[in-house]
Amino acid sequence: MDSLRRTYWIARVTFLEAVRQRLFSFLLLLGAALAGSSVAFRFLNFGQGELKFVADFGFGIMFLFGSLLAVVMTAQLLFAELDNRTALTLLAKPVGRSEFLLGKFLGVWAVLGVFIALLCGVLGAVLLARASEVAALAEAAGRVPPQVDAGGLAVFALLQWLRLGLVAALTLLVAAGSRTFLFSVVAGMLVTLGGQLQWLAQDLLNKGDAGLMQKSLAWFATRAVPNLQQYNIGDALVLDPAGVPEGAAAAALLSGTLHLLALLAIACGIFRRREI
Amino acid sequence: MNSAVSIRHLTKDFSVGIRGVKLRAVDDVSLEIPRGEVFGLLGPNGCGKSTTLKIALGLVRATSGSTSILGDDAASAQARRRTGFLPEAPYFHRFLTGRELVTYCARLSGVKESDLEAAVARALDLAAMSAAADRAVGTYSKGMLQRIGLAQAVVHDPELIILDEPTAGVDPVGSAAIGEMIKTMRGQGRTIVLCSHLLGQVEQVCDRIAIMDRGKVVLQGAVDEVLSRRDRHLLEVSGLTPEAEAAARRALESAGAVINSVSRPRKSLEDLFRELVTGSKDA
Repeated sequence: MDSLRRTYWIARVTFLEAVRQRLFSFLLLLGAALAGSSVAFRFLNFGQGELKFVADFGFGIMFLFGSLLAVVMTAQLLFAELDNRTALTLLAKPVGRSEFLLGKFLGVWAVLGVFIALLCGVLGAVLLARASEVAALAEAAGRVPPQVDAGGLAVFALLQWLRLGLVAALTLLVAAGSRTFLFSVVAGMLVTLGGQLQWLAQDLLNKGDAGLMQKSLAWFATRAVPNLQQYNIGDALVLDPAGVPEGAAAAALLSGTLHLLALLAIACGIFRRREI
Repeated sequence: MNSAVSIRHLTKDFSVGIRGVKLRAVDDVSLEIPRGEVFGLLGPNGCGKSTTLKIALGLVRATSGSTSILGDDAASAQARRRTGFLPEAPYFHRFLTGRELVTYCARLSGVKESDLEAAVARALDLAAMSAAADRAVGTYSKGMLQRIGLAQAVVHDPELIILDEPTAGVDPVGSAAIGEMIKTMRGQGRTIVLCSHLLGQVEQVCDRIAIMDRGKVVLQGAVDEVLSRRDRHLLEVSGLTPEAEAAARRALESAGAVINSVSRPRKSLEDLFRELVTGSKDA
């Protein structure tokens, strides 16, 4: 109980520190402005395709800026504590290394939750507003009017939050053992890219003529790096929930949660051995 | 177990560079710091003081040797619960107020919610920071940062307090105030380990000292013991006329004493400064 309490207070101070950072405000405002501005694409008059375009654009911005925020903020907040030696003050108290690291992660993850919630709110408002206009046009033309599923958007927001949590946990794992902020950011970005390109490893694994070495590497890559691509079901969840394979969201949620727990456990193990 | 800190044959090697060349920072150090005393750990920069303290706080692992705090293994949470630490040149979250910072540290140190307010008020009072407690830490001067650092170190009422350069960058008035706080804490029965380059202050407040050089302890003992010269005596006399001085010289020499020097005592610059400057802006 005391451990949870300490982790909570470290997370809370980390959250307060993170929301004061200019990077957060900048990316949040830019993301919200871009997601909101997607309504300008109405002149393209795609019909139902327009909503998919707007949704894809908004989800893409959310992942791009969210990943940037997750990587930079996670590394920055950990290295700020280490370089400024506030970590010395905190870890000289009865605070476990794991409590400290999990507190940092939870603080960053909470900020990412705020980021996702606000951007999903803007994007949802844009989609709902445009959907009602497109629906009127579709009815007049005798076509099936498009629907925006608010519940699907909520599930998508949850999955995106988990995805950004995985990016933050991957960065934390690197930062827990690395000596420099820059290395942590670059490595965090590369691992995130690796998670996004999981299909390459999957293809290699399924390829009949691949060598043993190639297959072993592909097998390791598919297990070690979480598949971030499986969360690319936002447009289907929001615009065509019936088209989402049954259990896809639950499977992504489960595998993401397990990966998250494993990454955090390894990060704590590495950080426990670190000399402050 | 009467020692607050017991360090036995402590050695710490760091690997340097890609080839992992060993650098010995602490070399077979043994120290016993008795409870209820102020202990000064002295030495030039890079002599291994801070590494020794970090090992004692469980922040760095020893290569060999053992360290215990108040009878518990130094790396244990139990030991850290009974220890307060002020690092050198402390830096705290600038957006928190002094009171929020001390409250945060109290929570992390396990102070009960019901005792929190009183514990924070007591620590702020001891560090003379009550008046500035509701200002953001980012607005504090160096002296105030050291004092708020002291408040966070004592808020959970620890038995052992480790202060690493508590007067670094602080003006003489602030430094004297910190010296008084150390004396107050000793009066409360706490053990204090003080790392400082202000040798005058160390001499005034410490009961025992150890001097380190190149990773080794080169001298340790009670301050009076290591500083007193048993073959010399000092007479301090006022109203001494030239005739009286000559008579005194003759009397001493006829009794077999050798007068090495006669001089006028000087005030220290620190004493003069403190007499003239009674308070800094942030006091």
